[in-house]
Amino acid sequence: MEPTVAAFDRHALRATRSRRDGWRDTWRGYRTAARLGWRVEANWADPILFLTYSVAKPLAGALILVVMLEVVSGGGADEYRAFIVVGSALWSFVIAGLSGLAMSVLDDRERYRMLKYLYISPTSLAVLLLGRGTARFAMGGIGAAVTLAVGVLFLGVPFDPAVMDVPLLLASMALGLSGVIALGVVFAAVVLQTRQDSWSYPEAVAGALFLLVGAVFPLAVLPMPVQALGLVTPLTWWVAAVREALFPDAVSSIAGPGSLYTRLTGVTEPDRWVLLICLLATTVLVTLGAMLTFRVSERRAKDRGLIDQTTGT
Amino acid sequence: MSLPSVPAIETRGLRRVYKTKPKPIVALDGIDLEVAPGEFFGLLGPNGAGKTTLIKILTTLLLPTTGTARVFGFDVARETRQIRRLMNIVAGGEQSGYGLLQVREQLWMFSQFYGLGTREGWQRVDELIEAVGLDEQRNQKVSSLSTGQRQKMNFARGLLNDPWVFFLDEPTLGLDVSAARSVRELVRTWKDALPGRTILLTTHYMAEAEELCERIAIVDHGRILAIGTPDELKHRVQSESIFRLEVDRLERGAGALAGLPGVVSASTATDGTTPAPDGVQTLNLILDNDTALGGVVTALGSMGAQIVALRKSEPSLEDVFVELVGRGFDEDGAGSNGHHEAVAR
Ligand SMILES: Nc1ncnc2c1ncn2[C@@H]1O[C@H](COP(=O)(O)OP(=O)(O)OP(=O)(O)O)[C@@H](O)[C@H]1O
Ligand SMILES: [Mg+2]
Repeated sequence: MEPTVAAFDRHALRATRSRRDGWRDTWRGYRTAARLGWRVEANWADPILFLTYSVAKPLAGALILVVMLEVVSGGGADEYRAFIVVGSALWSFVIAGLSGLAMSVLDDRERYRMLKYLYISPTSLAVLLLGRGTARFAMGGIGAAVTLAVGVLFLGVPFDPAVMDVPLLLASMALGLSGVIALGVVFAAVVLQTRQDSWSYPEAVAGALFLLVGAVFPLAVLPMPVQALGLVTPLTWWVAAVREALFPDAVSSIAGPGSLYTRLTGVTEPDRWVLLICLLATTVLVTLGAMLTFRVSERRAKDRGLIDQTTGT
Repeated sequence: MSLPSVPAIETRGLRRVYKTKPKPIVALDGIDLEVAPGEFFGLLGPNGAGKTTLIKILTTLLLPTTGTARVFGFDVARETRQIRRLMNIVAGGEQSGYGLLQVREQLWMFSQFYGLGTREGWQRVDELIEAVGLDEQRNQKVSSLSTGQRQKMNFARGLLNDPWVFFLDEPTLGLDVSAARSVRELVRTWKDALPGRTILLTTHYMAEAEELCERIAIVDHGRILAIGTPDELKHRVQSESIFRLEVDRLERGAGALAGLPGVVSASTATDGTTPAPDGVQTLNLILDNDTALGGVVTALGSMGAQIVALRKSEPSLEDVFVELVGRGFDEDGAGSNGHHEAVAR
């Protein structure tokens, strides 16, 4: 097959390359990376299996916890049931968000060996990774929604649309998502530096965080220094705010007897404004930290030649 | 159209040290290089010479330790955005790709990362698929492609943004004779279609370098040992005498002649000639001058070897390489002329 000269000639020295990188290009890069992630992550060969997996995992987690709760408390603890269902529903989301970006670094570098080709394109690495992570995020979102629905329909979680605080829910979801993404960027920055096989890191760390932020049990049961760590994490405030928005009667994960928060402020039940302001503050903090970390990490990776290194054969 | 007046590639005192344990590796040790727009430039060097490292720096994958490198005047460390728009790279011997995607789809996604419009992207991809000869595989999964087909896809990706500088790192590695030839054909056609398109090629195949490159740099241990057109390089060894010797019953091969007086080097010829039967070997001999030949002939006689044919020959690029680097490619590699056959015509 003889190559055709015409195809090479027509696009000669395109004007686009002297153009500055605009928002449109960034948006296009993000969208395409999201599409790439969706096509690569989702097991389209077997959609049933894929859906079952992305929904069954968070659902099973919630069920196990609810059953444990029933056994331990001898039934009847409605507020705790709500507490746990919200916690584990959000958590499938958090795991997906936290580990999604890091996983795509590993996948693209080690498995597909395409990271270097993505990297040398004009679209910035951060935008590409955010896009790549979006698919996992969306799948986590589906899992979370299903878990919540099952909790309300079958697990006797008391849900009353009339008492639901919609503005609080929307505001805290928006902030919480930013916080999750920012932490995801930090994870990706760390994984970019690893030399060894680090496939299990992101999920492991996300799992550990689960215990810190009041998702399954209130912070009050943790030692004080660990509680302090929990209080500077936006996830803690996010989980609490969403719980407050959906189930105002649910137990507070932040305050209460034995909690650092109550000891510091004397308040036993933070109100919605406190939750939102703390969520905002911690999110801004983590986002700034993430941007800095990522910049340093990318620079270091480029200095050490880590962008195209593969640990396998 | 007037060509840009800045060099396509310019490096000054470029050094790259990998901080490895137990001791650091100096991959590039002060490279000064200038490639003009429109040049087809080759880098020849043994394994580990630093060729890939240089390409990684120029393609913004790796930072220099010290020194500067510029692509069309843009600094690799600070002006990466600009460089990324105007260059691309294809490397050989790779198994990269999103296996689940179709060829056309993967290429389209890359067109989007380069800022082409949605429809424009599909159009461009279809043109390139045709140009590289992947029509039949366009809707195939990437994972199902053969090595040669994958390399064609790789070329289509590399040409999506119509680079001004195209980096080719051993692009024909692992390809069979005809696939390698069609890749070379493709590269040349693309380049000739427009003045100003610049190519930096690394290869281990002498004939490939000689066939394609207008200028060649021979590198080893991170330094440029010689630079010039293939003819200029060959003139470097013109002052010496080069003979092609077919010899029978020479037990120890080329090594037997290496130490003789007046012999600069003796190596097994690797230019793709079909090996003669019955243990007849073809050797390349570089001598200080013609008179040293007498000693060689005498020595061969005393070793019991029989000269089948003897011919004075023009120096080849390989002769230059052997003289400068001090060893042929074969001596640290396969030890046969098999992998050079890919470029035999
Ligand atoms: N990521 C790395 N870390 C440490 N050392 C490296 C790294 N990459 C390359 N090197 C070393 O740098 C030197 C130059 O390697 P490079 O890959 O540039 O050589 P090359 O000329 O491309 O060789 P080849 O012909 O085998 O492809 C080698 O000694 C190699 O071991
Ligand atoms: Mg190399």
